[in-house]
Amino acid sequence: MHEFLSKAVEDKSIVWFKASNNYIILEEIAAHLVHQILENKTPQKIATKLAEKLTISEQEAIKAVHDLNNRIVIPNTTKTTEEHTSKSKYGLPSSFAFKKHYHIHNKVFKVEFANEFQLSLLHPKFAHLETQETSKIEHTFQVFNANHLIHLVLDGECIGSWEAKNVHYFQGKFSMKIIECIYTKSEAEWMGVFHASAINYNDENILILGDSGNGKSTSLALLQAQGFQCIADDFVPIDQAQDVYSFPAGISIKKNALPVLLEEYPELETSAEYHYERLNKTVRYLPPRKIDYSKAAPCKALVFIKYDATIDFEISKISKLKAFEHLVPDSWISSNSKNAASFLDWFEKMPCYQLTYSNNELMYSTIKRIFEDDL
Amino acid sequence: MKSKNPIKDNVSNEFTITRKEALKKIGEYGKYTALTAIGTFIILHPKKAQATSVINNDDNNGLISPGANGFFD
Repeated sequence: MHEFLSKAVEDKSIVWFKASNNYIILEEIAAHLVHQILENKTPQKIATKLAEKLTISEQEAIKAVHDLNNRIVIPNTTKTTEEHTSKSKYGLPSSFAFKKHYHIHNKVFKVEFANEFQLSLLHPKFAHLETQETSKIEHTFQVFNANHLIHLVLDGECIGSWEAKNVHYFQGKFSMKIIECIYTKSEAEWMGVFHASAINYNDENILILGDSGNGKSTSLALLQAQGFQCIADDFVPIDQAQDVYSFPAGISIKKNALPVLLEEYPELETSAEYHYERLNKTVRYLPPRKIDYSKAAPCKALVFIKYDATIDFEISKISKLKAFEHLVPDSWISSNSKNAASFLDWFEKMPCYQLTYSNNELMYSTIKRIFEDDL
Repeated sequence: MKSKNPIKDNVSNEFTITRKEALKKIGEYGKYTALTAIGTFIILHPKKAQATSVINNDDNNGLISPGANGFFD
């Protein structure tokens, strides 16, 4: 029997398949047919009932059932293994050109980089956590290239090897390993990691989402300056119990956001600047003001944010299905059945908003009102 | 004499149908609407692994200044 989950959201159903870890939004009647196929009922039997219900011919009904089987059930009950990584054979370099130590939560991590380029992939986001304390190293990462792949080794074990085009997965895995180590939770204990920013107020969190360039990080920095607590930027881990955890990487601030942030963060004026040539982006990293590792807290709402100079302020509650369409492809969601069930339950109760603004004051007060159940 | 129902007068009898016929036709469309709906769905693929924001596309050339040692050393 193939493992799957199903949840009614608005007027549709969301069906999740363990083998593919895909989420499919479909009509309730189609979800019902998929359930019957998965229960191994014969297509003929399913089609007979469908033909009666819709007063269509059995031929049309059986075509619809076969279509669902071929397009949904078969592809999603076949295990796929593409993970953008491999564990190829490698030899450790004889020496590492750069060694950094980071104090994260209550642990010291040593990270060795074979060359400057690899250093540039990880260090800028964690530079504010660098420490000179090198006596009690808990974990050692090694980063090096071999066979045209970038390799990540943690405490002597190869975590993975990535091609250059998948370097963002290498960076994601490094961040994931940091999370696993500092909170002593294995990957299977995390519900997911979301491409969002997270802020905390009165022991609750809001996830700020949106396409790249919409202003997630800038909004996060602005909100932090107003007294909201920064929990995470770009990489928001949520565990099985649906609590959001702090991730201490720096907040990435693009050059065009500097003017609006310099008043609150004069230190940005002299921060190191990193230039991403291909994207023509220049980024500085702003350390979160206060990181509270002990305080995992639930999520109150999802806010899809967009800074738009032509719009003063607009907020509306949005369709959960639309929100789901944006959220899922941008997130890592654990393929563990328990975690997938937790994710669907979590999402079902999550209010979703679209907030477009250029008026900062209205943005702050509205976020506060969402936290205070006053919207 | 002016018609009481100019709209009706303008409609050719050739295209008028009774209420019963209209309902039957809607019923037919309803069936096909339901069939079309069954075959309409969205498949969403979560990321296969944890990732940070994509800051380069298809090679290493765009990513920061790698210094003397590039990605493919």
